[in-house]
Amino acid sequence: MSAPLYELPEELRIDTAIARRITGEFIRGQLRQAGFERVVLGLSGGVDSALVAYLVTEAIGAEHLLCVLLPYASSSAASRSDAEEVVRRLGCASRLVTITAMVDAYFGAGAGEGALGADGPEATALRRGNFMARMRMAVLYDLSVVWGGLVAGTGNKTESLIGYTTLYGDNACAFNPIGDLYKSQVRQVAEAVGVPETIIVKAPSADLWPGQTDESEVGFSYADVDRLLYWMIDQRRSEEELAAKGFAPAFIERVARMVAGAEYKRQVPPIAKIGPRTAGLDYLYPRRRPGSARRSG
Amino acid sequence: MQPLRIALAQTAPQLGALEANLERHRALLAEARAGGAGLVVFPELGLTGYLLQDLAAEVAMRLDDPRLATLAAETVGLSAVVSFVEESADHRLFIAAALLEDGAVRHVHRKVFLPTYGLFDERRFFAAGSLIRAVPSRLGVGIGLAVCEDFWHLAVPQLLALDGAQVLINVSSSPGRDVAAINEFGLGTATSWRTLMRAYAQMTTSYVVFVNRVGVDESISFWGGSEVIGPAGDTRFGAPLYDEGLYLVDVDLADLRRERIATPLLRDERPEIVLRQLERIVRERAGEVRDTTAEPGAEPGLDVAPAAGSAPLVRR
Repeated sequence: MSAPLYELPEELRIDTAIARRITGEFIRGQLRQAGFERVVLGLSGGVDSALVAYLVTEAIGAEHLLCVLLPYASSSAASRSDAEEVVRRLGCASRLVTITAMVDAYFGAGAGEGALGADGPEATALRRGNFMARMRMAVLYDLSVVWGGLVAGTGNKTESLIGYTTLYGDNACAFNPIGDLYKSQVRQVAEAVGVPETIIVKAPSADLWPGQTDESEVGFSYADVDRLLYWMIDQRRSEEELAAKGFAPAFIERVARMVAGAEYKRQVPPIAKIGPRTAGLDYLYPRRRPGSARRSG
Repeated sequence: MQPLRIALAQTAPQLGALEANLERHRALLAEARAGGAGLVVFPELGLTGYLLQDLAAEVAMRLDDPRLATLAAETVGLSAVVSFVEESADHRLFIAAALLEDGAVRHVHRKVFLPTYGLFDERRFFAAGSLIRAVPSRLGVGIGLAVCEDFWHLAVPQLLALDGAQVLINVSSSPGRDVAAINEFGLGTATSWRTLMRAYAQMTTSYVVFVNRVGVDESISFWGGSEVIGPAGDTRFGAPLYDEGLYLVDVDLADLRRERIATPLLRDERPEIVLRQLERIVRERAGEVRDTTAEPGAEPGLDVAPAAGSAPLVRR
């Protein structure tokens, strides 16, 4: 047997055939109920968006998919070439929209002042990263009109749980086929559907600045945090039970705090209850019901 | 030989689209009839879709609804089990399964156990049924109807069998979850259900017919995997997971007699013992008598006792 491409904790191993069947039904179901036949997604060159591109292709065919590459000036060239390789292999439509001008118009660039004024250049990497994620969202939703497709989400369960996402940025979408898969499981399904190996094995990165990787930024590996989250969330183990399983108490406490601190990112914002029927509280309808599908044509 | 051809309608209902689903039922009834079926079974809420929330009131039908009568009219010379939202005269909404036979509504089972945990929220939108009854059928054997979660409660298949059912029919909208490599079918839900169906068939020496829907409502994918299990717990047919279809299965109802003679478990049941013990347990849980498994010194209705010499846990 050849060496595995990545570390997969045994308890996270899933039946990828069933997972692909579910995501296929899910993607087709979401589109049918909304009255759409096409999908648009932002393709970064990472494994998450590459997997979604493959799953959408598997579900509805490459001719119904538009992948949008959305680099900023400092984005890595390798990310772009990996994304281009996915497009080439799938044979789907693609479009390149460089977001540099949009971002620089706000924060400023070089000596030039942006819309934010003199304090623009002082913006932290976090602010700049969040802003870039939201610019990408704005482009995807604009192009979704031109393409006539729904925006597919590409966030995974790990980043959603620990809050490693930008609200209304990369987490904005019409539906998400991989949001219940941990990063380790994303890699497993990606391998099964034939995502290029280089994409599966490379260090995950938000690509907000050169050399950035998720794991160095948060200080733990996906394999470790996926295992911890699985036992903490899916298997409802207490902190004492997790420690007994060998997880370091400081690691448990830190991740538990990240999960609790990101609760707001996973939910629809609360509305002040005033009237007799309020969306989300006592006005409860499925998102898609008779009459809610877009009229075709 | 008492041959019966069963048609398992493993359909993907459209959420909230009653007319479209009625049309689909009529088409599949015709297809099953043409295929020689004597019994056609549709999934839970096959006429409405599952995740209805506030739509439940909008798709509800009374038992005198002409649309139900029209559907029943398609069952001349047939038995069919269909499921929908039933509105009672006093405006309670039930998840109902109806046995339609020879053009009429023969029996209605209102789902007794409404799961309201995990991803389920049924009790919020529906009233719970309170009758578990077998019904005679034109097929010459008693039929017992149950809806999905009803079969996660041991008493239901037992009561149906004791009441004379020889074919237990469970119609379901079971959401697939717990995808894992360690599960027999890659899907925890399917593994659990298959275990239950075999156990019920064997312990009640009855045919078990399980029809589960496919398709997607919102986040949930339904896994199908409809089955027919023989009265010895033997699998007669298993439909594929997730594939929509009308699956025909031939069984011999004479196997029921053979199995019940060879393995007379039902003959040897002692329902009067069960009844007496249940009466005791219900009284204990209601606090009318002392709970035999409570800690010594616990007050009636409670099972935890105060420490020796300390005050009662509940002061009145």
